[in-house]
Amino acid sequence: MEEAGWPSSIDEIIEEFRDCFDSMERYELLFEYAKRHPSPLPEEEWNEENQILGCQSRAHVKCSLDKNANFLLRAGADAQIVQGLMAITAIGVNGLSPIEVTKVSPEYVKEMGLESSLTPSRANGFLNMFKRVLLEAKILSET
Amino acid sequence: MVLDVGAVRADFPILNRILPNGKKLVYFDNAATSQKPKCVIDSMTEYYEQYNSNAHRANHTLADEATTALESARENISHFFGTSPENLIYTSGATEAINLVSYGWARYNLKEGDVIVLTEMEHHADIVPWQELSKEKGVEVRYVPIDNENFTLDMEAFEVALEGARLVCVTHTSNVLGIRNPVEQIIEMSKRSGAYVLLDCAQGATHEKINFDELNADFIAISAHKMAGPTGIGCLLATTERIAEMGPFMTGGHIIKKVTTEGSTFQNGHAMLETGTPRIAEAIGWGAAVEWLSKFEMKEVHDHIHKITSWVGKEMKKIPGIRIYGDPTNRNSSGTVSFLHESIQSQDLAMLLDEGGFAVRTGHHCAQPLMDALGVPSTNRASFWIYNTQEEVEEFVVYLRYICERFT
Repeated sequence: MEEAGWPSSIDEIIEEFRDCFDSMERYELLFEYAKRHPSPLPEEEWNEENQILGCQSRAHVKCSLDKNANFLLRAGADAQIVQGLMAITAIGVNGLSPIEVTKVSPEYVKEMGLESSLTPSRANGFLNMFKRVLLEAKILSET
Repeated sequence: MVLDVGAVRADFPILNRILPNGKKLVYFDNAATSQKPKCVIDSMTEYYEQYNSNAHRANHTLADEATTALESARENISHFFGTSPENLIYTSGATEAINLVSYGWARYNLKEGDVIVLTEMEHHADIVPWQELSKEKGVEVRYVPIDNENFTLDMEAFEVALEGARLVCVTHTSNVLGIRNPVEQIIEMSKRSGAYVLLDCAQGATHEKINFDELNADFIAISAHKMAGPTGIGCLLATTERIAEMGPFMTGGHIIKKVTTEGSTFQNGHAMLETGTPRIAEAIGWGAAVEWLSKFEMKEVHDHIHKITSWVGKEMKKIPGIRIYGDPTNRNSSGTVSFLHESIQSQDLAMLLDEGGFAVRTGHHCAQPLMDALGVPSTNRASFWIYNTQEEVEEFVVYLRYICERFT
């Protein structure tokens, strides 16, 4: 992990977003990432236990360790903006150790020009999902 | 006389707001809360700058001025709603007003087996207090369904539900569909069958002049903040007969006649139902809001809102993928268009609209039984008021079409 507070794999994505002409292009790119989620959580696995409360859309997160004992984030949301942000997060955190994941800051979203998604009062749920990821990483790091 | 929307807008400083992304604000979230005219803001500032004091029970000048302003606001607001100050109980808003009926009237007057009639259109604020009462006292709660074809109340089912009912709680205007219910007919039918009526006018009071005494309802719940007033205040309008049947909802200062170590006795009327320090600044602000609203003929206000709502509803229907819930062209519709896109999720759509400066709401709008009846988890909702313009809704349609084309 770099000092910036997010995995270096996200830097390239930040550059992609910075190259966008305007906010609409950034949202289009985010919608594309939503479709390319590396580890989506299929709707059949959505349940109360992995549901993120406080989201107006349906959002679910399930974190575990892969066969190499590295972090695996699986997430699903019906809102593409949330799903896209979680896809980028998964690209960043999958394969890290759980302890490394606990140190990740969501500030990369701001760098991508999508800072409105980080406002706690926004009901889009990304921040709630992100907090859940950190919590689960902390639990996994202690087991 | 036609409403001069330009002059109306000049009273609202916030409507000139430029958002952080450089877009001009287009405020279409009026069913959640309205913006406040400068006179309302000024009246509250003046109170805090010039005569801030606790009302009642003091002899100094400031307390006298604050008490006079509080009670004069009660007089102006009650007259605006066609009733007397004695029939107005200040609350924090419509939600507390409904809870006041539940805790302050129903718990004293209803018993196990009594029937309360609600509708599927109700806001949670007019459902949950009755569900809680049902758990506590064993009253039966019945729900009148909506007709899914035309999004109106099923009045035949209402008549059936009325059988043996003691209380009917109905929204005047749906916060989701914008449909105004036939409240006069509902009150007449309820009274004929011996039931009391509580009207939730949180939405309705912003679109037409509510006359409590003429309507003949027993209770009416109102929120100030949806009708140009400040947040944190509203009222319950109640008839003298029903107030006489009420007991304290909350206890504490002001409502008491005498407190001894053995017990307490309470005042009568609205004084018994308003405990604690009153919402003085808010009442003053609301008084200023009704004074401001009194400059307009509410029929003209409704006609203006209906015109733009009807236009935007028709135009939105032409956008491929958009489905509208409710009938914005209905003459009884009040400024609300609920809609969904077939493939752009509602929250995504709201965020994309926000990028264009358009403030719309998304979610279940605290009306989950209605969402269930409509078969959707949420909707987008654009809601309009006195200061919205034809130009704004035209820009909205253009932008919505652009979003729908670009993101599908």
